[in-house]
Amino acid sequence: MTAYLTNLASLGAIFCILAATLNVAVGYAGIFSVAHAVFFGLGAYAGAQVSLLLVPDALLAMLAAALVSGVLSLCLALPALRVRGEYFVAASLGLQMMAVTLFSEAKTVTGGIGGLTGIPGPRLFGVEVSTLPVALGALAVILLATALLMRSSFGRTLQAIRDAESAAEALGKNVAAAKALAVAFACAGAGVAGALFAMHMQFVNVESFTLDQSVLIMAMVIIGGTGTLWGPLVGAVILLSLPAGLAFLPFIPSTEVGAVQQVIYGLAMTLLMIFRPAGLVGDLSRGKSHA
Amino acid sequence: MLFLQLLLQGLQVGALYALTAAGFALIFGATRIFHFAHGSAFTLAGYTFLFTSQAGWPWYLGGLASVGVATLFGIGIYWFVYRPIQRHEGSFFTVFVAAFGVGIVVQNLVGMFAGRGFASVDTPLSRATEVLPDVYLAQVFWVAIGLSLVLFLLLTLFLTRHHAGVALRALHQNPDLLRAYGLSSTKLSLLAFAVGSALVAPAAMLTAMTSGLNEAIGHHVMLISMAATIVGGVGSLRGAALAGLMLGVAEAVALSFVDTQWAEAVSFLVLFAFIIFRPSGIFGIAQAR
Repeated sequence: MTAYLTNLASLGAIFCILAATLNVAVGYAGIFSVAHAVFFGLGAYAGAQVSLLLVPDALLAMLAAALVSGVLSLCLALPALRVRGEYFVAASLGLQMMAVTLFSEAKTVTGGIGGLTGIPGPRLFGVEVSTLPVALGALAVILLATALLMRSSFGRTLQAIRDAESAAEALGKNVAAAKALAVAFACAGAGVAGALFAMHMQFVNVESFTLDQSVLIMAMVIIGGTGTLWGPLVGAVILLSLPAGLAFLPFIPSTEVGAVQQVIYGLAMTLLMIFRPAGLVGDLSRGKSHA
Repeated sequence: MLFLQLLLQGLQVGALYALTAAGFALIFGATRIFHFAHGSAFTLAGYTFLFTSQAGWPWYLGGLASVGVATLFGIGIYWFVYRPIQRHEGSFFTVFVAAFGVGIVVQNLVGMFAGRGFASVDTPLSRATEVLPDVYLAQVFWVAIGLSLVLFLLLTLFLTRHHAGVALRALHQNPDLLRAYGLSSTKLSLLAFAVGSALVAPAAMLTAMTSGLNEAIGHHVMLISMAATIVGGVGSLRGAALAGLMLGVAEAVALSFVDTQWAEAVSFLVLFAFIIFRPSGIFGIAQAR
């Protein structure tokens, strides 16, 4: 039971990182990416390869993952600078679909559908540790960085771009640089989560990095509340405890639990958008105007 | 000869893509709603046809039922989901998330009640015969091409000759002026959703006869329609239909160079390239930024 709860908590911390970093792009910068799982995956593969080929050090793996995801976030930043709104969602969808094909075909790096197995667990300076404290530490650092960044001039610039891009540009803000940086920060964070995920599961394959995963992460941010520090964490905890909670309901046949869970979160997304577009934590008055 | 075979297959798939893309483009053009649940109408229409034909209904009754279900779904989603959101000035992302939620619900409900995995309708139409040495063609090919041409012609006539069609185009260009002339934008939006959703039904029926349906097919249909609308240029039905045809052909022809699993990636590579280099699409007016 303890092992089950620790596992759930570790996954919870990892998904909190994913939701919190996606929130930087969606909630603060207004970049509606549905390709977050791509960078989660890139980080996972990078972290796994570092642990397998070099040394199984958690810090090194996370660093490598953040670098790989951060640099490749250019693939997402490029369309973000060219188009916005529906067009950008379409571009990120395209990126997501291409990445899944690439992940399952680049067998030398990713192991294809079979994935990478036997990834060593996390170690800090040669000492074996459990994932939970490392993940919680990473989450704390990322949350602190987000809070500080969003209160800084950079964060204000981002929010100005989100609310009125032309106005921000007219005031001499470097829109392109701010957007690219926000995307890089969000994607590097997703990479860190990926490295932690790889070390925690000790196995990764393409199934964890599909469009469904991206949508799940997006749903966490939306249901919790975009543009708030705690909203995404609330969303992540709710959506992750949903399958665990449904497993205890006796009247749902076990084969249909997955589908029932999907129906519930699909319904939650739709109803929330109709009645409370700012999310559970979000400020309702702000949501009405532009959420 | 393999190339010719793939080309013909691509044309058949592309004709169906063109129909769904035209529906999506009609809805997006007229109402500015990024109807992400368009694929769900396809899924529902396809499964309606599947069930009615399994129940022994003649094909025209099944087809009517299928068109009816798709139309009702389109009207319903506008009335119960999009209209309430637009009333509180919901941004496009609010609409997108709500539509995505509907898509997830439909996919899983269909999976629960109709079973998962591929299912198809067996008809004599889909039996292939050799028309040229090593080139096989089923009658469905001619049905698909003919049907999409006829429907597209009817749609064009409707939009240019009929009062309501002209009003739909006006809604796209200037909704405020339209209201000032005393026309109801709500009624016209309902019309756009009804016509746009009805257009997916024939494509869904033909897909059920040829490559078969599964509960997640709406996803693919939605992505292709969206890609075709953007590549063709938003606001241009002709562009969307042409791009749909093009994507179908590109996917099939790419098979002679790369493996099957890359087919879908080819479509998205085209989409990605268009968004970066020519966001206004083939026929679009520059308006993306």
